[in-house]
Amino acid sequence: MPGLGAALPAAALLLLLSSFPPAAAEQPLWPFAPGVMHALNPSDRQASKAAWVALHYANFKAASPSLLRFIQGVGMKYYLHFTTDDYINGENAGSCLATVLYLKRSPPEVNIKCADIQDKKQIQEQDNRFYQYLQHRTKPIIANDIPDSHGNIAHAHLPLWGLAVAGGSFIMLKKSTENLGYFLAQVKAVKQQIRKNNAVELEFMILLHETPTQKIYPCYMHLIWILDHPLTLKYICTSVNHWLEDGSGQDYGSAAGMFHEKEGNF
Amino acid sequence: MALPPTRDQVLRAVASDEEQIALLRALGEQVDLQIDFWRDPTKPGRPADLRVPFSRLQAVKVFLESHGISYSIMIEDVQHLLDEEKRTMMLSRRMERSANKFNFASYHTLEEIYDWMDTLVADHPNLVSKIQIGESYEKRPLYVLKFSTGGSNRPAVWLDTGIHSREWVTQATGVWTANKLAEDYGHDPTVTSLLDTVDIFFEIVTNPDGYAFTHSSNRLWRKTRSINAASSCIGVDPNRNWDAGFGDTGSSSNPCSETYHGPYAHSESEVKSIVDFIQSHGNVKGLVSIHSYSQMLMFPYGYKRTPAPDHEELNELAKKAVNDLTAVYGTEYTYGSIADTIYLAAGTTVDWAYENGVKYSYTFELRDTGRYGFLLPSSQIIPTATETWPALLDILVHIQQHPY
Repeated sequence: MPGLGAALPAAALLLLLSSFPPAAAEQPLWPFAPGVMHALNPSDRQASKAAWVALHYANFKAASPSLLRFIQGVGMKYYLHFTTDDYINGENAGSCLATVLYLKRSPPEVNIKCADIQDKKQIQEQDNRFYQYLQHRTKPIIANDIPDSHGNIAHAHLPLWGLAVAGGSFIMLKKSTENLGYFLAQVKAVKQQIRKNNAVELEFMILLHETPTQKIYPCYMHLIWILDHPLTLKYICTSVNHWLEDGSGQDYGSAAGMFHEKEGNF
Repeated sequence: MALPPTRDQVLRAVASDEEQIALLRALGEQVDLQIDFWRDPTKPGRPADLRVPFSRLQAVKVFLESHGISYSIMIEDVQHLLDEEKRTMMLSRRMERSANKFNFASYHTLEEIYDWMDTLVADHPNLVSKIQIGESYEKRPLYVLKFSTGGSNRPAVWLDTGIHSREWVTQATGVWTANKLAEDYGHDPTVTSLLDTVDIFFEIVTNPDGYAFTHSSNRLWRKTRSINAASSCIGVDPNRNWDAGFGDTGSSSNPCSETYHGPYAHSESEVKSIVDFIQSHGNVKGLVSIHSYSQMLMFPYGYKRTPAPDHEELNELAKKAVNDLTAVYGTEYTYGSIADTIYLAAGTTVDWAYENGVKYSYTFELRDTGRYGFLLPSSQIIPTATETWPALLDILVHIQQHPY
């Protein structure tokens, strides 16, 4: 099970170290020298004053009328060291070092480096096999409820679940704040659009679980997967109040309906 | 349904548009094909299951393929399956007669759990009895299993699972645990000593309306199913409806919210029934309310950040319980007060219990930490219940050994 090694907040630009340093063998992700420090409240005027001082320095040094910066916002930065397991097979997947900067009006900024212990060759082979399978289909793949009510996933659906998690992670990243977190609760439906060219196109309806509000957000996700390329993703999440109230919400044939709020990148 | 000849198949066809739906329906109407729909074609994207006689298989498959209707072979040999099913049903009917042959490794319906409770009582008549403490909003009985070896109003511990209906691993863990208590009494010295001193009241399906709804309509339903005045949204969060910091930060006044606290404290009969029971019992010394998911063991307070007066003792016991849980399979838990460990939550079960004389009030959040979430695979039910057992026992034994 993943464990959280250290999750200590620090004001943007100032560093607070955890009680143990990163493993000596790993490249330090945190470029600033360790030492005894204390956390600053990001709304502290001293924090933004110090940030301006740093920018005055940078703006002068750049010596360019076109390369200038001003402060847009100060956020909360977390320095993290945690262990992970493989999402699909549950096996140990090594540890990661990361920094997460939460900003007020934009999605979080992440830097992450994970230990390289998974079998790259096997992963590439699996991806390639599944990619070829989807590419060569004449009939579009369609599936519902992954996992099903009993938490089961048919073996053939595991890679579809994987793609949903990969794509859904983008949505969850964009929505995450210091106070709101997300998990992928279920893939309600997935349908393939057969393409003639070298790409795989899938439409998903996924359910996100939001904490601490406990809300369930249905999101429509349109995903294009080209092997060895970043995913191309369009999504729209809704907050239809009690959208499954009368059971009619179980039909995802059309996206028409009464949406109270929408957010996405269409 | 008359027994079909051998090697009939059941095909699962999925129409991609209305035209294909019409084609499937037309296929069913062709009498000479003798197609029997086990699941009718309704809407595009939803599966239709067709039982096709062996002699017509070729014709039907050609029809589907030529119209581009995607299908798969769901059952390759119907006869074999029917024989299997008959055999399994006969076996399980024989097995149903004893409570410990219940399939603990799968999720069950409300009816199945309620039926199983009766077998448990029948199998352990000198230890277990079933009492009804009230009715749900939709008038379902609220059943509690009483574990007692006698005495008169002995100190008691209250256990509940399933207060949030979508947390299926909790009701399933409740069934396994109730069975474990019954089985171990008279055989395991710790459990025997425990039940010789202390009574246990165990409500396994604390929110039966919600649970039924997760089976029939929405697997992710959390709240009760009570109708809210002046709102089209249904249900109250039963873990925000208790009279402890009721209505404070950490609950919502919006009926459409998943953490809606309700119009007033104890408005929900599911909650009021427990309140009335515990208060009239008068000798409840411990309470454990079981949820999922997050892998945490927590104690009051949830509605405020102030440490509870018994924080030290509760924290030490939680630490011990979590260590014993982790020792089973390595599953990691965090522990502490609700406010410190998860978030501010007002009007919770454990806060109410604590402020009403129940010192040892705990809440579990069982597996997992978000990978499957509420849809925990049934293969994890028994491991979850197995690892939780020593932690639960630590709490129960501590209560037994620290009377107050």
